[in-house]
Amino acid sequence: MVNRSNLTKRIVAVFLCLVFVLLNIGENVKANDIPYDTYNYDYREYMHYTPAAYIPAGNISTLAMTLDGEPIGKLNNPQDMCQAPNGDIYICDTGNNRIVVLDNKMQNVLRIIANFDNDGKADKFNQPYGVCVSENNKLYVADSQNRRIVVMETDGSYIKKIDNPQSESLDDGYVFTPLKVTVDYADRVYVIASGMFEGIMVFESTGEFASFFGTIDVTISLWEKFWKRLATKEERSNQKLFIPTEFTGLDIDPKGFVYATNIDSNGIQGVRRLNPKGEDVIKKGENENVGGDLWIDGTSDFSGPSQFTDVVYRENGIYSCLDRRRGRIFSYDHEGNLLYIFGGLGTQEGTFQLPVAIEDIGGRLVVLDATKGEIITFEETEYGKLINDAVSLRYDGNEASAVDLWHRVLELDENNELANTGIGKAYLTAGDYENAMKYLEIGMNREYYSIAYRRYRNAKLTENIGFFLTALVVLIIGINVAKRIIRKRKGVIADD
Amino acid sequence: MTKAFSKEKWKYLLYTLSHPMEGFYWIRHQERGSVPIAVVLVILFSISFSINRLCASFVVNDLDPRGIDSLFELIGVFAFYILICASNWSITCLMGGEGRLKDIMIAIGYGTVPITFLLNVGTIVSQFVADDEQAFYTIIIAVGIAYGIIMMLIGIMQVHNYTLGKTLLTLILTFIAMFIIIFLLLLLSNLLKMVINFGDSVYTEIIFRS
Repeated sequence: MVNRSNLTKRIVAVFLCLVFVLLNIGENVKANDIPYDTYNYDYREYMHYTPAAYIPAGNISTLAMTLDGEPIGKLNNPQDMCQAPNGDIYICDTGNNRIVVLDNKMQNVLRIIANFDNDGKADKFNQPYGVCVSENNKLYVADSQNRRIVVMETDGSYIKKIDNPQSESLDDGYVFTPLKVTVDYADRVYVIASGMFEGIMVFESTGEFASFFGTIDVTISLWEKFWKRLATKEERSNQKLFIPTEFTGLDIDPKGFVYATNIDSNGIQGVRRLNPKGEDVIKKGENENVGGDLWIDGTSDFSGPSQFTDVVYRENGIYSCLDRRRGRIFSYDHEGNLLYIFGGLGTQEGTFQLPVAIEDIGGRLVVLDATKGEIITFEETEYGKLINDAVSLRYDGNEASAVDLWHRVLELDENNELANTGIGKAYLTAGDYENAMKYLEIGMNREYYSIAYRRYRNAKLTENIGFFLTALVVLIIGINVAKRIIRKRKGVIADD
Repeated sequence: MTKAFSKEKWKYLLYTLSHPMEGFYWIRHQERGSVPIAVVLVILFSISFSINRLCASFVVNDLDPRGIDSLFELIGVFAFYILICASNWSITCLMGGEGRLKDIMIAIGYGTVPITFLLNVGTIVSQFVADDEQAFYTIIIAVGIAYGIIMMLIGIMQVHNYTLGKTLLTLILTFIAMFIIIFLLLLLSNLLKMVINFGDSVYTEIIFRS
């Protein structure tokens, strides 16, 4: 009887233990309440999950904001936003035909630009689609349905308009519908217009149409050419046209390079970096890809190549692209290596329904959601900060001081290839070839591994040259002696 | 005549490697070769193929080690070996070839030796090359494959007593025959599946009726 009651006690104890363990598991899962995964692709194009680089820092709605005591209401289908040099944030509230200006904390409305005085006449926007503030503090608004770009002071007073571009290369009945706009340091205006496949339209600071910029080439394979040749005229007219894709979003870096996103149906290049001549000079990294996700197979709505809608140049060569299809943000460094991928679609805080614009505001990544009419903000975690800082140091050519940061990145994510490569390169410059080889191999960097290996091999050879030469001499003598012995024995046998 | 793994047979393998013309001729006419040795050589080839894919230095090797399954590769190499022997035999039977299935198996099995050897050499050499010295590795592997193919070609030519032109013709036909065999196998397996399904449904029908 005593034994049996002991047994029941034990069973109860084990059961209670199990219950506690299970409860703990439940709690661990709850602790991670970030509504998306953060991941990256490695050299083998495998997806691997990393610690979160950015975490949601709250959604900002204008619903509760007031201007002069009056509520300004919700944003209606906002399409673009931009930060002025002084830190103010300009949001294109497309559905309400107005520009909303927030302070740099995004807590208060500073002003609303809706009606303005156009040479004595009262004027207003009609579906303003894009907004940009130049370095000289001029506000450029792509006033899409009024077919013009309005240039204003930042307080909303009208300066001039850019409309009705004239050029031989434009069709006679061409209707100018500007969607996105950006301005460089020389006040040249870069415009993405609806239905304009020839590229980005560039206007001089005087407002004259200058040229097209960054035209995307169409590539036709030999096979497609062959079928075109075989097809009759009627068949050909039914086939899909080979037209280049349109650009979707724009940003400009301090050096005057234009970053422009486009939708690539192959998912290989969704963003371009255009030099002042309009040539694409982007670097595509080890996977030869700046098109977002690499795993795009499948037939559901959720599959297919990423569709970049906007890009933001952040600093030190890092830029982030916003994917509309899966609501993800892809950050690349100046060499085209993926740094981290995060974000997702959904209705929770920190997810998107229809992301349209991305901006970097004081180190926070900020996304404008057209359907929600909200601004979704993300702040960097320790992991994200370490990567950003290390990449920045490398961008400045300061690889040695990045090593500590890379080591800390490895503590959080031990397979990070960029970190391993960074550490390996530092060991290489320090002359520690063995460690350099170890890290560069994990980082899958053949070029630098080979440099390290060649130096390592030379060092080993010179160190042991005496040994090698002695071994060689001994070997040659040994072979000769052995030959002689064999010959003798054979001679003996033959003699018998 | 002598045992399959006897010392003479192994020695004769070495002789064949350096004198393929003579070697394969006497394999056909004096039973100097051995099918078990040929099979062992094919297994060795498959193993060193897998080792090369797994262990060649990452400077020359772009394969994902997670995607390499040596057992699967062994089965694949063997299936290919049997397929090529069977189809070559069936073609040469019709085209006046003198070789028996046995001789073809020996010719192809012995032909893998240079490839096996130089694959292993390449694997070792790859550990000591840097990025711009890849050419050494590539040349070693290429020489091995070229020598192996020449060996097989001479082997098939000699065991059937063909001219070179006729050998090449029969090889092309062999590849066509391989596709036909694969097609027939697929057809057969498909039909068998249907028959089994039919039997199965008849069985369930009877079970439910009674």
